[in-house]
Formats: sequence, C-alpha cells, structure tokens
Amino acid sequence: MSTTTAPAVSIDTDRPGIPLTRLVGVEVRKSFDTRAGRWLSISILGLCAVVMLVIAFLVTDSGEFQDFPFFIQAMGGTLGYFLPIIAIMLVTAEWGQRTGLVTFTLEPRRPRVVVAKLLAGLIISIGVMLLSAALAAVGTFLASSVRGVDVSWSISGHEIFNFAVSNLIGVLIGFAVAMLLMNTAAAIVGYFVYTLVLPIVVGIVGGLVEWFGDLAPWIELNTALVPLFTGDFDPTGEEWARIATAGTIWLVLPLGFGIYRLLRSEVK
Amino acid sequence: MIQVQNLTKTYAGFTAVDDVSFTCRPGAVTGFLGPNGAGKSTTMRIIAGLTPPSKGSATVGGVDYRDIPNPGTQVGVLLDASAQHAGRTGREILTIGARTMGLPQSRVDEMLALVSLSDKESRRRVRNYSLDMRQRLGIAHALLGEPKILMLDEPANGLDPAGIHWMRGLLRGYADRGGTVLLSSHLLHEVQIIADELIVIGNGKIVAQGTKEELLQAAGTYVRGLEPRALEQALASAGITVTPSGEGLTTEAAPEVVGKAAAAAGVALVELRQADGAGLEEMFLQLTATTQRDAVPTEGAQA
Ligand SMILES: Nc1ncnc2c1ncn2[C@@H]1O[C@H](COP(=O)(O)OP(=O)(O)OP(=O)(O)O)[C@@H](O)[C@H]1O
Ligand SMILES: [Mg+2]
Repeated sequence: MSTTTAPAVSIDTDRPGIPLTRLVGVEVRKSFDTRAGRWLSISILGLCAVVMLVIAFLVTDSGEFQDFPFFIQAMGGTLGYFLPIIAIMLVTAEWGQRTGLVTFTLEPRRPRVVVAKLLAGLIISIGVMLLSAALAAVGTFLASSVRGVDVSWSISGHEIFNFAVSNLIGVLIGFAVAMLLMNTAAAIVGYFVYTLVLPIVVGIVGGLVEWFGDLAPWIELNTALVPLFTGDFDPTGEEWARIATAGTIWLVLPLGFGIYRLLRSEVK
Repeated sequence: MIQVQNLTKTYAGFTAVDDVSFTCRPGAVTGFLGPNGAGKSTTMRIIAGLTPPSKGSATVGGVDYRDIPNPGTQVGVLLDASAQHAGRTGREILTIGARTMGLPQSRVDEMLALVSLSDKESRRRVRNYSLDMRQRLGIAHALLGEPKILMLDEPANGLDPAGIHWMRGLLRGYADRGGTVLLSSHLLHEVQIIADELIVIGNGKIVAQGTKEELLQAAGTYVRGLEPRALEQALASAGITVTPSGEGLTTEAAPEVVGKAAAAAGVALVELRQADGAGLEEMFLQLTATTQRDAVPTEGAQA
C-alpha cells in the first residue's frame, strides 16, 4: 500500500478540548458585551441603590430599619425579583438571537455549554449580590453619619445565609425555567409566576382546602423553603423531605428535561 | 475531507435530505448547488453536529464532528451569517470566538484585515451591517482558528460581483494550500465562479456530481466553423449529432472529440469551447426540475 496517496487532511482528536474555565469566561463576557446585557446589571444595581437611599433617608427611624441587616434584607428582596433575569438571558439569548448556531458549533458537547452558563450565571449573581451588600453598607453608613440614626452593624449568620441562599435558589429556578421554556419573555413571566403568583395562590387555596394546605409544602418550593429561612433556620427531617420533593419538581425536573431536549434537538 | 454517506433526514414524514452521499476532497473547492429548500443547509447542519440525521452518517476527516476537540481550530463553519446577536459589534463577535478557541486577540485583527472590515466598521453593531459585511464577518469567524477544512452555507449571498471574485481568490488560495472547502449556493453563477467540483441537489436528492469540467461537458460543446456546411457534414460523418445554435452548432460531445473530428476532415474552426454558463444554467434548471419524482442521477467520476 502506498503511503503517498491523497494528502491526509485529518482531524487531530488528541488536541486538548476547550477547558470549562474558558467557556465560563466567555459566557460571563457575553452577559456584558451588549448594551442590553450591561444595562440589565446596571439597572438592577441602580434599583438597589434607590431602595437603599429610600431606606436610609425616608423610612422612619423608629425601629431597626436603618440597621445593616435590614438593608441586607431589602437588597435581597429587590434582587429576588430581578437577579434571575441575568441567568435567564444567558440561556434564552442563544435561541432568540440564534447565536446557538455558533455556540454549539464551537462546543458541540452541549452539556458543557449548559454547565458553563450555569456557573457564569452564579458568578455574575454573586458579584451583583456582593455589590448590593456594599450598597447596604453605604446605606447604613449614610443613615448613621448624615441622618444621625443610631444604627447597628451586627449581622447574624442566619441573616447572611438567608440573603445568599434564597437569592441563589432564585437564580437556579430562573435558569431551570429558561432551560425549560427557551424563550426570554416566557421564562421571565414563568419566573414571576413562580416567585410572586404561586405562593399567594397556594396560600389562599391552602387556607380554604385543608388537604391542599397539607400537600402544598410538598409541591411548592417557596412554601417548602419557609422552615429554612425562618424560625430556628433548622428544618426537621420531614421539612427537608419537603424541600427535596418540591426542589425536584421546580429545579431538577425542568433542568433535566431542558438538558435532555437540548441534547436531542436540532440547533438552527 | 468531508464525507457524507447515505444521509437522510425526515421531518414528520417530509424528506428534506434523501440518501445523500458525497465526498469533499482536500485541495478543491466543492460547490453544493441546489434551489431553495433543496436540503443544503440541513445537510450542512448535520455535518456540523447541530441536527441529528435520521439515517446515514457524516464525518469530517473521518471523525464525527461532535468528537472533534476544540472543533473551531480544525473545521471552520459558517451556517448563517445573520445568526448573530444584533447588539454585538463585529469585533466582539470575533473576540468571543477567539476566546472560546483559546486564540490570541491578534487573530481577531488579522481576520478583520483579511476580510477587509475596517477598524471603524468592526466597532459597529452587526445590526447596522449590510449583508455583505455580515458575510465577511462570518468568513472571518470561520477562518479564526486556522482550520484545514471549511464549510460555508451561502457565503456569497449578498456579495456583489467584486465580492464574489474576492471570495474566489480567498478560497482558491485556501484550497491550493491543501484546504478542503464545501460551500453552498442556490445560484449557479456563484458556484461556477468559485467552485472546482460540484454537487447538485434538488428535493433532497443528489442529481449530479463531478468536476465543473465534467458537468460542463455534460452540458455540451459550442463549435463554429469557417464554413458551417462543411463543419456540419464533417461532424455528422464522425457520428456527432449537432443542433444549430446562433452562428454555430452545439453538441453533447466533448470539445476534444469535436476538435479531432474537424481536424480529421480538414475543416477550419473559428470557435470551439464548452457550452457557457447559459448551457450549465439550463442543465441546472433541468436537473432540479426533473428531480420531482424521476431523477436519473448523472454521476461524474468524483462519486
Ligand atoms: N424543522 C423542520 N420541519 C419541517 N420541514 C423542515 C424543517 N427544517 C427544514 N425543513 C424543510 O426541509 C427542506 C430543506 O431545507 P434546507 O434549509 O436544508 O434547504 P436549503 O437547500 O438550505 O434551501 P435554501 O437555499 O433556501 O437555504 C425545506 O423544504 C424545508 O422546508
Ligand atoms: Mg439554506
């Protein structure tokens, strides 16, 4: 057999693949390299700053409203509505803007892209959370120095846990809903239904229908998570089981189904 | 090398790609020609691992595309120049590609220069790009990782004649350095300028493939003699059937055969050439029209 036949333009399968860190870096960059992406983060922080100023200067100082933990709680509440949108956009932009065609051509191992997006979403969220915590500190400082309120800086581990974990869970839910719906508008509406409408509906129906009230903490994650963020912050065995069950329904299933579909679907 | 074997793709009973097989060899620009909806993009998406095939296989350099590590550095792909985030600048799009592939930022400037996008243009959002600029950006993106294999879907769409000739030069040089190129088009005129080998597809089926010369031959020869009557007799006695065409004659025989017959009879020729674009155009129209139900593939040597 001759070895000098067709010029062998072959593929090098031993070349190193794309490291996950690089994919994550690119995904973080993609969140900020458009005007819309930049403004999303800036607006969220701007809103946090407005909330901070209102609390520092306008909210009554008869109580603990200007204490650092209250600012943190207010920042957490504000972020809870908007932070997940960053993670949602990371996923849905690939379909809305059809950039998935390039993304999945450069990295055909699709689950790695999903993991990179999830990590990027968490990294950006943590960054925004840290900045909002800094705003909380500024608010406490302003209330104390400019307005002359007697503030407390002491914050408990539970309060920090509440702020960090509830927001990260929100980001994960937003990501999962986005993977399930693959559409920006639908995913944002879906997330708001989950976070705003659902707890109210479940609360009302659960109050009227007894068996549903018993069932709700098993199937509705907001309700299931209450013991984690209130009281002694120490869920019992059964309460953990509820978190696991509701968490499976709202996080694991949509994410799992979204990834499963992404692996089998065609990108166009 | 791109190899497609018995590839079939059906959508809910509709066959978009029907038992397609072809090979693109290194050193040549292979044109993938077919009318709208023929199945070109579907085939290319399957090659790039974006669409799962229903039957058959597609490999690049003998490997399933999805098994290529860091594929952008080995296979350059442009599937849709308009499928980009409208709010990103051209430079940013290339930067994202370069970062993903792990290339230095200098590659971005090199590629911008290669496709003649000025520094100022590269800082504009692609929303404000003309189709021609998007295509150039897409080609720059495909070439970023210095791949040896290129696959471009309708890259000449939106280019003006000068742009098409620029692309011919670019791809010609690329193929001459040993690269493999597969490019699609629904305009015969485009592939005729750019490609060396042709694969013609209609309604999901391959209806013709071979080198451009072979397919041109299939379309026939145009010949004009100093004395038309003498030429016609000479060819007739050599067993070559002709049809009058303008001042000359066309025939399905190769120019070489016609020339020899004329020489043997001592008839002087004024003109002897392969039938031009119009002939090939006719073939293209005919081929794609006849694929409706009863395609008779006219395979060339490059099967
Ligand atoms: N998801 C789908 N469901 C049903 N039919 C589809 C789907 N995707 C593509 N098709 C059909 O498959 C056929 C081939 O489409 P394809 O895009 O591959 O053609 P093409 O040769 O690239 O055409 P064009 O020159 O217009 O780009 C078309 O008739 C198209 O309508
Ligand atoms: Mg197409």
